Amino acid sequence: MTQATVTAPPAETGYQRKTSRWRRRNQWRNPWFLEGFTWLYLIWSIVPIALAVLFSFNNGKSQAVWQGFSWRWYFTDQVNSVLHDPALHASVVQTLRLSVYTTLIAVPLGVAFALGINRWRGITSASFNFVMILSFVIPELIFGVAMFFMFTALFSFVHLGTLAETLGLVTWNVSWPAIIVQARLVTLGRQYEEAAADLGANQWQTMRRVMVPLLTPAIFASAVLVFSSVIDDFVIVDLLNSNASNTPMSVLIYSTQRGGNGGPALNALGTIMLVISFIVAIAGYIGYRWLTRGERASGRKALSAITGGD
Amino acid sequence: MAQEQNATLKIYNWVAYINQAVVNHFAKRYNCKVEVSTFNTMDEALAKIHSGQVQFDVFMGVTIDVLGPLIAQKFIQPINHSYIPNINQAWPDFQNPFYDGKWQYTTPYTIYTTGMAWRKDKVPENPYQMSNAWAMPWQAKYKGKVAILDDYREGISLGLMKNGVFDLNTTNASQIAAAGQSLQNLAQLTNVQINNNDYTQIPTGQVWIHHAWSGDMAAAESYMPKGVPVDVVGYWFPTDGRGPVGNDLITIPRNATNPVLAHMFMNYMLDLPNVMTNISWNGYMQPLNEVTPQQLVKEQILPPSLMSTVVLPSYFRRGVMELQIPVSANLLWEQTWQAASKGV
Amino acid sequence: MAIRGFAGRAPNRDKHRLFWACLAAPGILWLALLFIVPFYVVLAIAAGRLNQLFGTPIAEYNPLNWSTTNLATAWRDIAGPTAFVGPILLRTVIYTFAASALCLLIGYPVAYFVARFAGRRKVIILVLLIAPFWISYMMRMLAWVDLLQTNGYVNSVLNFLHLTSHPINWLSGQPVTVVLGLVYGYIPYLILVLYAGLDRIDPALIEAGRDLGLSKARTFLRVTLPLSKQPILTAMLITVLPMLGDYYTNQLLSGATNTTMIGNVIDQKLSTPLFQGEGAVFSIFMLLVLAVPMIYYVVATNRTSREAV
Repeated sequence: MTQATVTAPPAETGYQRKTSRWRRRNQWRNPWFLEGFTWLYLIWSIVPIALAVLFSFNNGKSQAVWQGFSWRWYFTDQVNSVLHDPALHASVVQTLRLSVYTTLIAVPLGVAFALGINRWRGITSASFNFVMILSFVIPELIFGVAMFFMFTALFSFVHLGTLAETLGLVTWNVSWPAIIVQARLVTLGRQYEEAAADLGANQWQTMRRVMVPLLTPAIFASAVLVFSSVIDDFVIVDLLNSNASNTPMSVLIYSTQRGGNGGPALNALGTIMLVISFIVAIAGYIGYRWLTRGERASGRKALSAITGGD
Repeated sequence: MAQEQNATLKIYNWVAYINQAVVNHFAKRYNCKVEVSTFNTMDEALAKIHSGQVQFDVFMGVTIDVLGPLIAQKFIQPINHSYIPNINQAWPDFQNPFYDGKWQYTTPYTIYTTGMAWRKDKVPENPYQMSNAWAMPWQAKYKGKVAILDDYREGISLGLMKNGVFDLNTTNASQIAAAGQSLQNLAQLTNVQINNNDYTQIPTGQVWIHHAWSGDMAAAESYMPKGVPVDVVGYWFPTDGRGPVGNDLITIPRNATNPVLAHMFMNYMLDLPNVMTNISWNGYMQPLNEVTPQQLVKEQILPPSLMSTVVLPSYFRRGVMELQIPVSANLLWEQTWQAASKGV
Repeated sequence: MAIRGFAGRAPNRDKHRLFWACLAAPGILWLALLFIVPFYVVLAIAAGRLNQLFGTPIAEYNPLNWSTTNLATAWRDIAGPTAFVGPILLRTVIYTFAASALCLLIGYPVAYFVARFAGRRKVIILVLLIAPFWISYMMRMLAWVDLLQTNGYVNSVLNFLHLTSHPINWLSGQPVTVVLGLVYGYIPYLILVLYAGLDRIDPALIEAGRDLGLSKARTFLRVTLPLSKQPILTAMLITVLPMLGDYYTNQLLSGATNTTMIGNVIDQKLSTPLFQGEGAVFSIFMLLVLAVPMIYYVVATNRTSREAV
């Protein structure tokens, strides 16, 4: 790439530069350096995970040395496998439980919030929109600490446990549907509502029969996002769990590994989390494509929608 | 009283401190489910218990220094001896221990010492020949290979003993401060790690000198990597007995929902076959009359090179123990530990 | 009747507002109760007392009865004779700064490539880029813990390439490991946000730069980089802010005292009886220090999201 500038005459003679034969290479050719760098990054990013998944099938107790293939950590080992060890088993159930509860609560809450805030002008709505975005950007530790004290000091009737975890997770994740739906509303504009109103529909009918169907892809995408986000969450549930039955996978992996008792069983747990997330992502992608089948949507848009980018 | 039906016995215990097979066997035999929740440090456990937010049937691994407050604040309940006939299998001391007269609240779980574990093949020095083996970690040449236990009592005690103070319940502010200072020096010298993972880190060689609990090292054999013999692991405890001796207890919290099952669990953990199965995985000695060093070696639970991890009744009677300290001094210990364990 | 525009719906306007307000109400109530109130509780605990017997904190909700004991204790830990938090704060800032800078250095070229040059392979590369998003953070850290063990693959490879003579203890208090772990953990988020922002840059602008005779490097500096300023800023914010509160990465990858961060201090205080009040104080400190960047982010996002309406 630097060769291009070696024999380059001064910048003002751009015309001359362009017509010189040396310069007739395609200016827009693929920069091999950037591409190579990107692939190197992807390898660095993905290969460790692949190896970790591999070690979950390790025949021995080591997490670093391969000792043969086995399903023992998943279900064959009668004592320590994910299927048979009560703590590991409970953590899988708890993660799924939290994901479902949180998605079921956060998505409707966030969507209604987005609709209301977007159309209702005023100081209250603006300030709560502010608060909602703040909940998106605040470090999770500070928020987690606040939740911890909330449920142990003020609302102590809500003990630490699944209810507290769900409430904390919903609050933490409500910003996803709220932001995504608001962005979609902004793109949609007011035209559909105005058209519906012109045709005589009242607020409720407009909402139900015009806006919500138009927003379904966004709502669906945000549900996928919330679900994945809860599977991955660590800090909030670490601070709000009380015993093994409400400890999700992320916390169990952390405390067991830190406690020195790490083993391929933890890798197995991580692999299960991975598989669940991927299933959700693929379902999300397919669902989103199906929901937007009428529009001029593309695979790329679906991808960016279900990852919160836009 | 009959045992609870369709119950889930909730146990709160240290991470990796009971053999899951023993737990599973209990569940099968008494037709119940057992759920083991774990904690990494005693502070963490106490914070959760004191918050009143958690509910367990069995709280085990309780050290004697924190027993007093638990009893005084009524977090644990008196136990009913008629459910625990197996107490006769335990050392007679435990039917009237000094920390719990007439064993009103506790049954013994494990007995152990705190000493120094080292890799004989990596570290040429022999603590048995050192004048102050407690100072063994304080060597800059082992930077990155040294670790101490993550416990405020054990940590500050290490500092105290290194400085020649053997009153591990001292309230003397300058002694405590000096101990904290020594720990900070240790951090600067060696980038010391602070964890309770002696049982894996010494066998795998990740750490060469670890302030350790005897039981953790006794279990070393099962954590040795392939091809490395267990003889390379050494455990030192002072021959004059001036080192921490501890015993952990099993208690029943006041808000237990399955007290009968909890009593049966206590009884179960005092029965020889279960104890041997537990020791074979856990490593920690349990104070039963039939659990002798010879028995352990014969059943190949304890490698002969680690006989130093054994705890005899005499240690229990003359060892230095970590006991409860007054609140204000306790605060000082905690503060000093926090500064030493987080700061450099 | 006068000609009506949309504004002519005056009699129905209040009803409209009420409708939207009702829709927003549950969310508003929820946020008020479970986001705003908890911070007041933290304040009340920070300014409250301690139950000496149980070791639990007592919240003091009445500002008139606030006490400064916890504040004094926290201050002693920061600036008193036995202070130890100062170096930790400095270390947290340094690690975060280093890790974020690395994230940007690695992430920008990748995002740039995918946004501008990927062509046919764009979707597959995007999928691979997004994949870590759905792989739990713990699993990703676990992967490195496995690889960096003394007998793990990293040491094996280094040994094979004769780059080292003896195995390196990566997981024993090495700042490099922690910083790289932070980079590995947070970079996917940065790349995605950067990619979204860079994708929006109109390629025509860049072409114009080239047409006007600027070299590739100059075009980048004078056209692309200024246009990427906003995405870079946003991406850095959502990387730096969570990283400052991280306490689990260094626990898994190091566990030594010389790599602890402020998050570890707060976590330890919260897990120790009699110190939870102090933990609350540190939490508030952190909130205050980070208030400015957080508010900046909110204002910037708010502005762009409301622009089109």
